[in-house]
Amino acid sequence: MAGEPCRPLVAFEAEDLGHGNQVVLSRLSLALYPGERVALLGPSGAGKSTLLGALRRRLDDSAAWCPQQHGLVPQLAVYHNVYMGRLTEHSTLANLWNLVRPLAGPWREVSELCDALGLTGLMRRPVGRLSGGQRQRVAIARALYQQRELFLGDEPVASVDPHQALRLLALIEARHATLVIALHQRELALSHFDRVWGLRDGRLVIDAPTHELTLADLDGLYPDADASAETPREDRSLPMPDPEALPCARGRP
Amino acid sequence: MSESLIRRPRHGRHWWHGDTTGLRLARHSLTLVALAVVLVPFADLAVLTRDPWAELGRIAQGLAWPAWGRLESPLEALGLTVAVALWGTLGGIVLGFPLALLFAHSRLVRAGCAFVRAIHELFWALLFLQVFGLSAATALMALAIPYAGIFAKVYAEILEQIPAAPSDALPQGAGRLSRFLYAELPLAWTRLAAYTRYRFECALRASVLLGFVGLPTLGFQLETAFREGRYHEAGAVLWLFYLLIASLPWWGHRRMIPLLALGGALLLGPWPALEGGLLWRFVSQDIWPPALLEGDWRGLIAWLARIPDLGPAIGNTLLLGLLGSVGALLVALTLWPLACRHFGNPATRLAGRGLLVFLRSTPELMLAFFFLLLLGPSLLPAWLALALHNGALIAFLVARHADAITPGMPGINATGRLAYELLPRLYPGMLALLYYRAEVILRETAILGMLGVATLGYYIDANFEYLMFDVAFFLLLVTAALNIAVDALSRRLRPQETAIIDDPCQR
Repeated sequence: MAGEPCRPLVAFEAEDLGHGNQVVLSRLSLALYPGERVALLGPSGAGKSTLLGALRRRLDDSAAWCPQQHGLVPQLAVYHNVYMGRLTEHSTLANLWNLVRPLAGPWREVSELCDALGLTGLMRRPVGRLSGGQRQRVAIARALYQQRELFLGDEPVASVDPHQALRLLALIEARHATLVIALHQRELALSHFDRVWGLRDGRLVIDAPTHELTLADLDGLYPDADASAETPREDRSLPMPDPEALPCARGRP
Repeated sequence: MSESLIRRPRHGRHWWHGDTTGLRLARHSLTLVALAVVLVPFADLAVLTRDPWAELGRIAQGLAWPAWGRLESPLEALGLTVAVALWGTLGGIVLGFPLALLFAHSRLVRAGCAFVRAIHELFWALLFLQVFGLSAATALMALAIPYAGIFAKVYAEILEQIPAAPSDALPQGAGRLSRFLYAELPLAWTRLAAYTRYRFECALRASVLLGFVGLPTLGFQLETAFREGRYHEAGAVLWLFYLLIASLPWWGHRRMIPLLALGGALLLGPWPALEGGLLWRFVSQDIWPPALLEGDWRGLIAWLARIPDLGPAIGNTLLLGLLGSVGALLVALTLWPLACRHFGNPATRLAGRGLLVFLRSTPELMLAFFFLLLLGPSLLPAWLALALHNGALIAFLVARHADAITPGMPGINATGRLAYELLPRLYPGMLALLYYRAEVILRETAILGMLGVATLGYYIDANFEYLMFDVAFFLLLVTAALNIAVDALSRRLRPQETAIIDDPCQR
């Protein structure tokens, strides 16, 4: 796809990305073109979430967003969690009323989505009572519900089995022209995407169309056992916390 | 450099010089205890009654054979106690919740909340008593106002600690209220509810205490019966109170609250005939020194000089606070294994847990009152009451925390388990909890003054009694300032880096 004639949706030119003063990705240059399906690969802590966060900020309202750890509210029902994807499109009053009694239109749309994602009959169940895979699908449902051109997903198919991962990716592809999805499945990256961005140690080391890449190239992204003593820059490798235990952070200033 | 190479790690000497957490906490605690030991001679700890044991016997008899029949309309007092606690708490929520949302952003709100929190419910009651008389308004405001400050702070803390991920995942530009309702409130709800529930329990205790200033709740009957030596009646009221607390899970169920609130609203009364002029005079004139209102600075200094024994009162208050805190630490250290699953047998654990629940649900003022009858008016009864009540409270939490720990070496004996497995894990949290309680303990020392212990509270009570509102109000301000200062100090001294048991839902 090199030499694409149209303008990129977003482009970074030798930019430092990070949180506050801490630079996670230094001197990053890349561009995202409309219609591209990009797989974002790299070990935990390489800066995938940072890059996706930066893309999200740049793309603002045109991107549907499916964060790592899902960002779901365990106490609210599946329906409400999906509805939150379009919170901005309703008035505060409507949002408020929707908590008491679901609005008819959104309810219908969300239930169609839930049917497509195998969440039929779970619309009223609190997300905290779902399994890990179900929660993942709720997070995807929320992103799909936003109905955007572009999909940004931070490991949206990390905690489902390989077959389901394929099905979910197909669903996401069917509804979005452009994708940037962080994942760990290298085979999937080569078979389902047009382009791979490979991050390692805060640098973009691969930026190439998938037909030019082999699994061995991708293996180069992951430090082998010798190098595993390196400390990750971001603590993104933690497992999804139990939602029941979520709101009980301890320690005060 | 070469010297340090030669120097070998020495065994046994200077062991206290390390900077591990354990050693630091040990030094910290020992300093605290040493300070208390050094200052004890300055405290008036005399036993003034001639025959405490006979009195104790009579009180025990009263508790063992409560005279239910002789109580005057106990159900009405009980109902009023619950009604005041419930509506006081509701008032606190209504006032406190909006403040919680502003808490992080406004220094003024934080300062205001710190001020209203620093004054004990009973003092608020004494203040409002002058304007609204012995009425429901006095009782409700005495609870609602300090609780608003407490709710604002704790709710704000809880909301601050919710995970940010759900809020971050929302589409950008979602309205503030929508964001709050969808991605913040549901996450905090369980803890907010748990804390509110705990506060309601505190409100029940406080509501009983309001009887001590004359409002017709359970405490009124308790105080009169105790003072007049009718211990069988006092025993009956005490049992009534314990039953009320123990049965809280049944009658205090969430679904019952509307019913209770409605019933309580009918019970509340009498309502004062509000006289605007009187209220205004009280707020604008009575509570301020006349010299200040006239702008007469020399007069103001003379007025200040006339305030009796301010120094000793502050000294006593601080001393009692320190002694109470250290006592609570020692009591907690002694008592927590009694209620913990790692020690003893089911029978001892049941007894231990019973003792802790008993000590923890008896209000300090009542404990102090009891010791006062036994030992006469000195710092001693107040000290015992503070140490036992707060120590039991901390011990209870520590024991519950210990129950959740699985020792790594199962075969170890009890002492080993205590000293090697559990205490090292629990002690930092225990100390942190103590530092939180220090503020509460100081607040309580002031109100123990109402029983005749010469703390600031004693002078506040006395000045209200003599209708010297200006002096009483000034002393209230001094008390509040003292509490705020001690709170700030204890926050600074509190061990920071450790896992903390301290959970607002359990304070």
